[in-house]
Amino acid sequence: MISGLGNPSLTAAVLLAAAALFTAIASAKLGSDRMLIWSRRLLYIFCAAIVLACADLMTALVNSDFHNAYVASYTERALPIGYKIAAFWAGQEGSLLLWALLLAGMSAVAAIGFRKRARTEQAAMLAVLAVVCGFFAALMLFAANPFVQLPVQAVDGHGLNPLLQDPYMIAHPPLLFVGYAGYTVPWAMMLAALIAGRSDNQWIGATRRWLMFSWLFLTVGIVLGAKWAYIELGWGGYWAWDPVENASLLPWLTGTALLHSVMVQQQRGMFKVWNAALIACTFLLCIFGTYLTRSGVVQSVHSFGESVIGTFFLVFLLVCILLSVGVGIARRRLLKGEQPLEDLMTKEGAFLALNVLLVLMTLTTLVGTVFPLISGVVLDEPVSVGAAFYNKAVIPLALVLLALMSAGPLLTYGKDAAKVLGRGLIVPGFAAIVAVTAAVNMGVTNPWALVCTAVAAVAVFAVAVALVKSVRQRGLIHDDESPLIAAARVIDGSHRRYGGQAIHMGMIMLMVGVAGSSLFSVSETFQLRAGESGTLGKYTLNFTDLNETRHANYTAVAAHVTLTGPDGAETTMHPQMRFYDKTEQPSAQVALRSSLGRDAYLTLAGWEEGGKLVAIQAIINPLVAWIWIGGIVMTAGAVFCLLPCLLPEPKPVTAMSHARPTASISLTLAGDGQCMSQTTRTHATLCQEART
Amino acid sequence: MTHTRTKLLIAAVVLTASVGYLALAGVKSGWVYYLQVDAFLEDDTYQDQRVRLYGLVDDQDIEARPAMLTARFKLNGESRSIQVAYLGVIPDTFKPGGEVMIEGKLDEAGVFQADVLMTKCASKYQSEEHAKRLEEAS
Repeated sequence: MISGLGNPSLTAAVLLAAAALFTAIASAKLGSDRMLIWSRRLLYIFCAAIVLACADLMTALVNSDFHNAYVASYTERALPIGYKIAAFWAGQEGSLLLWALLLAGMSAVAAIGFRKRARTEQAAMLAVLAVVCGFFAALMLFAANPFVQLPVQAVDGHGLNPLLQDPYMIAHPPLLFVGYAGYTVPWAMMLAALIAGRSDNQWIGATRRWLMFSWLFLTVGIVLGAKWAYIELGWGGYWAWDPVENASLLPWLTGTALLHSVMVQQQRGMFKVWNAALIACTFLLCIFGTYLTRSGVVQSVHSFGESVIGTFFLVFLLVCILLSVGVGIARRRLLKGEQPLEDLMTKEGAFLALNVLLVLMTLTTLVGTVFPLISGVVLDEPVSVGAAFYNKAVIPLALVLLALMSAGPLLTYGKDAAKVLGRGLIVPGFAAIVAVTAAVNMGVTNPWALVCTAVAAVAVFAVAVALVKSVRQRGLIHDDESPLIAAARVIDGSHRRYGGQAIHMGMIMLMVGVAGSSLFSVSETFQLRAGESGTLGKYTLNFTDLNETRHANYTAVAAHVTLTGPDGAETTMHPQMRFYDKTEQPSAQVALRSSLGRDAYLTLAGWEEGGKLVAIQAIINPLVAWIWIGGIVMTAGAVFCLLPCLLPEPKPVTAMSHARPTASISLTLAGDGQCMSQTTRTHATLCQEART
Repeated sequence: MTHTRTKLLIAAVVLTASVGYLALAGVKSGWVYYLQVDAFLEDDTYQDQRVRLYGLVDDQDIEARPAMLTARFKLNGESRSIQVAYLGVIPDTFKPGGEVMIEGKLDEAGVFQADVLMTKCASKYQSEEHAKRLEEAS
């Protein structure tokens, strides 16, 4: 029934997006509300058209309809159903369709959320969204059509790339695309606010949820991608600074900067140009990254055939840049800060430093990624800068950033910030000294490792000190509460603050994992005969034999290896080589024994003499597990930020009458999305200030 | 105000200088020419330094021994070719006729000694198979 609707749906989608654009412009020019309503409706219908196209492709994939070229290229009959579904985003065309679907859905949601805005602002946002939606629909229709029909139905499909047959790979691309598509909405909101001439800071508050939401998905996507690379690519690492990886990191860096600087604009009316530029850059980097990785301009391990897609993306990118810059210049008066920066040792100063550092990291990564292009033009022969470049240039910046982050909870706005910071740092500073001394006693001498230890200690204790302080202040008016309940209420009272700190803790865990695994990893390749053993560090591995097993769409050859750990515990591990029916080349399957302290990572490199002699690569990676735990903590923190208040606040019986004047002040400070208990907390702070 | 501005200026200068230094050091340590076989053989200046080469593995002249961690093969450029000896784990995707990237140095005997071998895998987003099918269809 649905079959055959794909192409007509795409054609309809292009027309609908164009119509939505024209009605939006017309409604602004003619001052017509009817046009505006129609523009919104057309966007909803666009969404429906894309859903229909997706349903068509999904049906073809699930039913193995090999008339469809895409289905024939990326699936086969014997493929498990989960991977048949995942093949939706395994190729160029399907992944663009998924992106379009997410974009259409989020545009519709944003349009609903914007219904009450002024006409010009609403019309401008709808127009911008329609342009982006239309671009993706047109791109598929003209350059990457997922509905190309084969003249003769293929007997069986070519199968899914073995590297993609992994649960993490099912989840990783869609999550990234949610992030990419999500960053379109704040960009549209920003352009709309500027075009409509809004001089207030309320619109930026509305972008915050979108920024947090997109950042959350981008983060999860990147971490899962790293996890996939770790267990599937078999070289023992999780991040190779490949252009494809960098493409997802670039918008993440600017998106992270944004989450912080937006707060300053909301509360102090500063950093307006920064925010506008960062919102635009984040969106543009999503598009640029896609252009870079899919056009074939940058040589990478992944080779991408040069395609027309690149030209489409480049033209679209230029249009978006011109639009952003044009609107920014035309409305430059709206982007002036409301007050000057008072001092560097304040919260706003720290946010500025953080922004600058993140932007510098973005620029350095960008330069490294396109270095072959630049040098190809300047020097004739392309020069590539490998991982060494990023490790030298980006990692030190990241460490400074993390140090700054660790002091974050102790910073306040305004003039007295330096004094407050100095007092607050006493306990964390002491903790850092203790931690570093302990590390040195345990035999750690690597300076980078010691720096990381100090940063981690300061970060953890700064969060603790700030929390204890808030709980104590709450105790001043709620002296009947137990400290635990008080702590729960303080945390629940400010999701954004404590969600943010959870994200910071996750980031610290991630840093510990990265530092441990990159500084102290050891590896060796053993050639073993049956019964022979090899030793690596405190581990011993013993090879028993090699055997073959048959699975749904592949045959696996697995080595039996007994691994003896430093504590004498034995584990049997089976590093495999898989031979998929539909691909000529074998695919190695890593055997992993993971613990909080270290991972043992074995790959079967090959064998001779009918399996009597094998080559096994063994890697001991310390602390890798903390990267994934950090990722989970960051995700939880971001989700917590987005959640509404969870605990009901007991009625503040005390001091209700004289609380009124302060309550009105604190409400304006609290801004949107904050819980009511913010009021009481600010009140408590004021009470304390009055006493001292 | 001017006080803050001076501080800002100093901070900016220090930061820019240190980032510039880091980037320069990074570029120096990571600087590797990325060449096609022909370009590498035509210019003597590349022949005593570490370079990254790309080309196609010869269909016939190839001997890979995964368990011994060695591979010998001929790497073809557009019109010229070079003998390569590789030592290390051989990637799954290494095959005759495939496109590879190697890193290493030329030895006295004129054999390129590589310690990095990466195959250009059919990417996530573009399979050769699919390109062929699309041509068929049109």
